[in-house]
Amino acid sequence: MSSDRPQDPAPSAFSLRARNIRKSFGGTEVLHGVDVDVLGGRVLALLGENGAGKSTLVRVIAGAHQPDAGTLEFGSPDGAAETATGLDPPAARRRGIRMIFQELSDAPDLTVAENISLGNWPRRRGLVDWRAVRQRARQVLDSMGVTLDLDAKVATLRVGERQIVEIARALSDDAGCLVLDEPTAALSAEECRRLFGFVRRLREQGVALVHITHRLDEVAELADDVVVLRDGAVSAAGPADRFDRTELVTAMVGRDIGAVTRPEPSTSVTGTPLLVFDKATAPPAFEELDLVVHAGEIVCLYGKVGSGTADVADAVFGRRRPTAGTVRVLDRPPADGPRQAIARGIGYLAADRQREGALLTRSVGENLAAPSWPRLSRFGLVDAARERRAFTRWSEQLGIRAPDGAGQSLAGLSGGNQQKVLLARWLERGSSLLALVEPTRGVDVGARSDIYAALRGMAADGAGILVATSDYEEVVQLADRALVMVRGRVTRELAGDLVTTEALTDAAGG
Amino acid sequence: MAHATEDRTAPNGAGPDGAAARPASAEGPAKRPLRGRTLPELGALLLMLAALVLFFSLKTPQFMTQGNLLNLLTAVAVTGIIAIPGTMLLIAGQVDLSVGSGAAFCGVMMASIAQEQIILVGVLAAVGIGIAIGVVNGVLVTVFKVNALIATLGMMAVLRGLTHVNADGGTIALANFAGLGTARPFLDIPLPVIILVLVAAIAVVLMRYTVFGRSLYASGSNPVAARLVGVRGNKMLVLAFVASGLSVALSGLVLTSQLSAASPNSATGLELTVVTAIVLGGASLSGGRGTIQGTLVGLLIIGVVNNGLTLMNVNSFYQQVASGTLLILAVAFDQLRLRLAKT
Repeated sequence: MSSDRPQDPAPSAFSLRARNIRKSFGGTEVLHGVDVDVLGGRVLALLGENGAGKSTLVRVIAGAHQPDAGTLEFGSPDGAAETATGLDPPAARRRGIRMIFQELSDAPDLTVAENISLGNWPRRRGLVDWRAVRQRARQVLDSMGVTLDLDAKVATLRVGERQIVEIARALSDDAGCLVLDEPTAALSAEECRRLFGFVRRLREQGVALVHITHRLDEVAELADDVVVLRDGAVSAAGPADRFDRTELVTAMVGRDIGAVTRPEPSTSVTGTPLLVFDKATAPPAFEELDLVVHAGEIVCLYGKVGSGTADVADAVFGRRRPTAGTVRVLDRPPADGPRQAIARGIGYLAADRQREGALLTRSVGENLAAPSWPRLSRFGLVDAARERRAFTRWSEQLGIRAPDGAGQSLAGLSGGNQQKVLLARWLERGSSLLALVEPTRGVDVGARSDIYAALRGMAADGAGILVATSDYEEVVQLADRALVMVRGRVTRELAGDLVTTEALTDAAGG
Repeated sequence: MAHATEDRTAPNGAGPDGAAARPASAEGPAKRPLRGRTLPELGALLLMLAALVLFFSLKTPQFMTQGNLLNLLTAVAVTGIIAIPGTMLLIAGQVDLSVGSGAAFCGVMMASIAQEQIILVGVLAAVGIGIAIGVVNGVLVTVFKVNALIATLGMMAVLRGLTHVNADGGTIALANFAGLGTARPFLDIPLPVIILVLVAAIAVVLMRYTVFGRSLYASGSNPVAARLVGVRGNKMLVLAFVASGLSVALSGLVLTSQLSAASPNSATGLELTVVTAIVLGGASLSGGRGTIQGTLVGLLIIGVVNNGLTLMNVNSFYQQVASGTLLILAVAFDQLRLRLAKT
């Protein structure tokens, strides 16, 4: 219906003023009265740490969540304002609000043209008008200055191109406001530049843009206005040029900056290298990688998602095989698969806890003991009492909150407690080398510091720990040494006091 | 009956205390926890069984006689011997549909060999065939990655065909082999029932206390995660399929013995009853969940329904309708339970 409307020539027509937005989930308030202005012809950078409430806020704006309190005030071109207490998705759509989610939400087996009209098919006498589908696609892609094969299946495109198709879909029927949720996370530098080109072009056309990010360099490059969220409240807001980098970091991290402290210099690091990568290559994940982890040392591999850090950890655990160069793990060639790696004393946490770590239907006791079953059993019979004792011991040490004890099913635990159970697997197993991917993703702050303390303790006992992470605060709090990876290559190595959030984001942004 | 099944799903989804204790992640709503409480679930099943027993003993005076109950248990035993390893497979996220035609094939092979050789040779041949069926199924699923439903569905057709070929279209009569199916060596309990109890007892120990059992649970719960903690999922799966094959041979022998003959059409549709009993007993089609005890109760429920309906002179075609309905209901409630656990 909105496509029947004549093209509105007025720029800056869109105006949304959200006031005092509050939102709770399960008794926990995640937005404590947030104000934000989204205006046509301007790019608003929405900044904040993981869990600060950015996604919740934009979901309220896009109608995916209903606010518990607060108002959404929409301006119209004639100056009259209209106030709503919340939107449902169709209402948000009618108001011209479009959201591009972090994960691709296209239909991979359909063509570019079909994807652009997905869910909004032009019709003629009740049937899809395929000529109009192609025409609309060509029109919107032309207006974006992109040439893509309209008949190519989306699955054959690169990630950046698929994102362009999604943006084209959002723009194909008069978007007034476009919300981009961390759009650059999976893009190459060149694709980022291209995306920013669109964003600028849309701004000129009068579209209101909300750009969610935790990358500060993108703010300087792109944003007119900035809103920083911290713990569900606005900690800084105003024109982007009024803030410098340090001020933004302080606003994002806030008083908690005291918590993001460097650990005491480790005294446990010895000369024994447990893990050595020498010009190791596993295309396309990483190339000519040099890396050493000594006994007693925590080495962090920092890089954006897709930079190859997780693949390095996978190679340590025998999940991925380098094609060139040498890798020595505990003085041997890499293990032939996880089972052998575990037997040799290597522990591993995958990035996706639910998919690759948790045995959700089983008890916490079994989850914790699983890698140690060969040791805890005799003639194939598992000693259940020893299994329970193992759980009791580590749950006390790590502060695992399991209301029903060792028999509690893992699914009944919070994310942080689940992660503690998965980490305790390797404590019980007595692993001497750990390869951990995003060990505190989706973990609340309290559990996070418990996990850091446990890792410090393991290192102090002589274990070598490799942490692959996209969270620079984690690096600052954990690393004896840090390596920054960009697109499969190490671009910088930092140690001691040089491991700072600025140095890390700076090295990863290049 | 539907009402009682509904009851057993209730304890699983509820867990308000856990939900409150969990600090909600800032970016989304907290997940409701899932509690692994199998006992109340089993209790609800037992209640359902008791209600059915009560219903049929009021409706037909013959139901509560010793003779009838022993008949009922003997009928359950043939299905049960197969359903026990079937439960182990479903817990690991797999299924074996070749059990019915496998039992017929083992029976026919045993009978045709026993006609020319001594009976023991026939028995050994049947056991060997059962193991071979299990190995082939297991290798198809783990090495060639054929979906278990399809692999064993194909095997079901293959074996039924081979059964007819070997029986040459007719029934093979076999004297001197009634002992296995009809003997009552202990307290007047039929031997097949004793065999079922022994098989179940072994399975309970395997599933609860051994690395093998835990590996099956782990693989069914999350195959990727299980591999990453060093569980030898494929090896365990092949073993479970072999256990299924062995039980098929055993069940085929019992059947042949009970009938004193091997019919190529015997045990048709047995896989339906087996899967119904397992799912009714609380094992989940999505793997990682279920108990041997639950399956035993599920078996008894099906046995009581079939026996009771027969005593009430209900047309046997309606009994088929009843068992099909029971299967669909059991699976529907399994899905409902999973949804409750997730939200």
